[in-house]
Amino acid sequence: MTNAIFPLVAVNDVSMIYRTRAPNGEALETVALQNANLEINQGEFISLIGPSGCGKTTLLRLLADLIQPSSGSIGIGGKTPQQAREARAYGYVFQAPALFDWRTVMGNVMLPLEIMGYNLTDRKTRAEKMLAMVGLEKFSKNFPWQLSGGMQQRVSIARALAFEPQLLFMDEPFGALDEITRENLNLELLRLWRETGKTIIFVTHSIPEAVFLSTRVVVMTPRPGKIEKIINVDLPHPRDFDTRESPRFFEIATEIRESLRHGHGYEGNE
Amino acid sequence: MTRSSNFVPMLVVGIVLIVLYFPIMLLANYPAAARALARGAVLDCKTALECSFDMRSPIIPSPAQLLKGFSSLYFPPTSETSVPYNAFFTGLETLSGLLLASVVGLGLAVLLVASRAFERALLPWLVASQTVPIIAIAPMLAVLLGQYGVEGWIPKAIIAAYIAFFPIAIGVSKGLRSPDPLQVDLMKTYNAGSLQTFSKLRFPSSIPYLFTAFKVSVTAALIGAIISESATISGAGLGKMLSENSRASDAVGLWLVMIGSAILGILLVSIVGWLERVVTPWQRNH
Repeated sequence: MTNAIFPLVAVNDVSMIYRTRAPNGEALETVALQNANLEINQGEFISLIGPSGCGKTTLLRLLADLIQPSSGSIGIGGKTPQQAREARAYGYVFQAPALFDWRTVMGNVMLPLEIMGYNLTDRKTRAEKMLAMVGLEKFSKNFPWQLSGGMQQRVSIARALAFEPQLLFMDEPFGALDEITRENLNLELLRLWRETGKTIIFVTHSIPEAVFLSTRVVVMTPRPGKIEKIINVDLPHPRDFDTRESPRFFEIATEIRESLRHGHGYEGNE
Repeated sequence: MTRSSNFVPMLVVGIVLIVLYFPIMLLANYPAAARALARGAVLDCKTALECSFDMRSPIIPSPAQLLKGFSSLYFPPTSETSVPYNAFFTGLETLSGLLLASVVGLGLAVLLVASRAFERALLPWLVASQTVPIIAIAPMLAVLLGQYGVEGWIPKAIIAAYIAFFPIAIGVSKGLRSPDPLQVDLMKTYNAGSLQTFSKLRFPSSIPYLFTAFKVSVTAALIGAIISESATISGAGLGKMLSENSRASDAVGLWLVMIGSAILGILLVSIVGWLERVVTPWQRNH
């Protein structure tokens, strides 16, 4: 997967069409994603941004083999998404923490390791390491309900990292959190990305979040869901709270906003 | 909530019940007492009000009569004719019935969840099995099992299980379907097999549902055990005592056995509650 010539993730002309029936029996076709093309290199931080219904979550689920495309092909490190999933090539962080109530924080982080057959010593060492990475080592014996929303989401990130996948899919992981918590977690995530050198594909509908985190931002627009534009984010690293106040930050944010508007992304609805 | 904070409201309700008991008892017994006096029956009491407290066969016994009966029916607890002795056997039958019902109920729940076709085929029959009056089926089952030498507490446990398995099967099948779709997706991203998804996600998710079902089932199982005891009148048990006392028109005895079965019911439900606290320490409302 460390091939510099070929992209890590290649999306070739992928469409996703949902066929449903209207109450009157009429066949309906919803185009969730239309002719998407995208190449992602090793070590990139890619944000998919757009309003509801633009297909950003659909694209992520397609990459993760949670759904299969109606047409087109996807390659992940030279494998099909199914092969990549079977090889446990990626970690997935969902919109909600999706923690298991009956497991402690530690037990939740060890879950993927149990499924993948790591021995107990390995499971403990890795889980402790990941909990330390997200700053929750003191809470390892707590149950999920005893944690705040932000802490729960950090546990779910630690869980996704536990088996050290090189590729991380994140579907609006901070969407339900307040602005202050979100900005702190953005900073932590950026640090984690720089420390581990992982490739991250991140879904969001926040423009500042996308600009702050990404190397490139994929702007998507709805009806039908499609990729409108791919914007390079040339802000220097390391980024911190001051980055958000730099003129370049606003220029890029404006560019994203304009291409969303150009694709009628925010017209009339959300 | 702690145990002591549970106990105080319970005590208050108990006191209210005792206070209400007197007027209700008088309301029930007064007409019968008045009729007896009018017939000129030889009694130790002079007014109908007085007689209401001291009838030979009261509709609702007075507290004094209950206390007197209590000392003879509850002590010594090891006596074969005492309520505690018989309650012990009824309790054992109920718990073994519940155990049997869990095995059957869990198995059925897994089948119900495994396939929609199976659910459509099986569910109406399960519902039908529960609409048959237990009072009709209990003696029949006891006779049937007796033919094969299954006697004593076992047929009673089986009848208790017959009523108790249904809430367990329905509750657990709902529990097995309860995981969040995201949690199911999560297991898929780990490439977990269906057995792993069952053991690590679906089964643990269903445990709170199992205990809710247990609380319903245990009282149903108790009623099943008592009915089958009173239908067979063999061995020991509260149901057997109820049958004997009602044949002997011993109203005070009947009431004391009823109180005994109520206490047993409360005890069994608390055992389930205690078990739930031990097995599911992650639940926040413990």
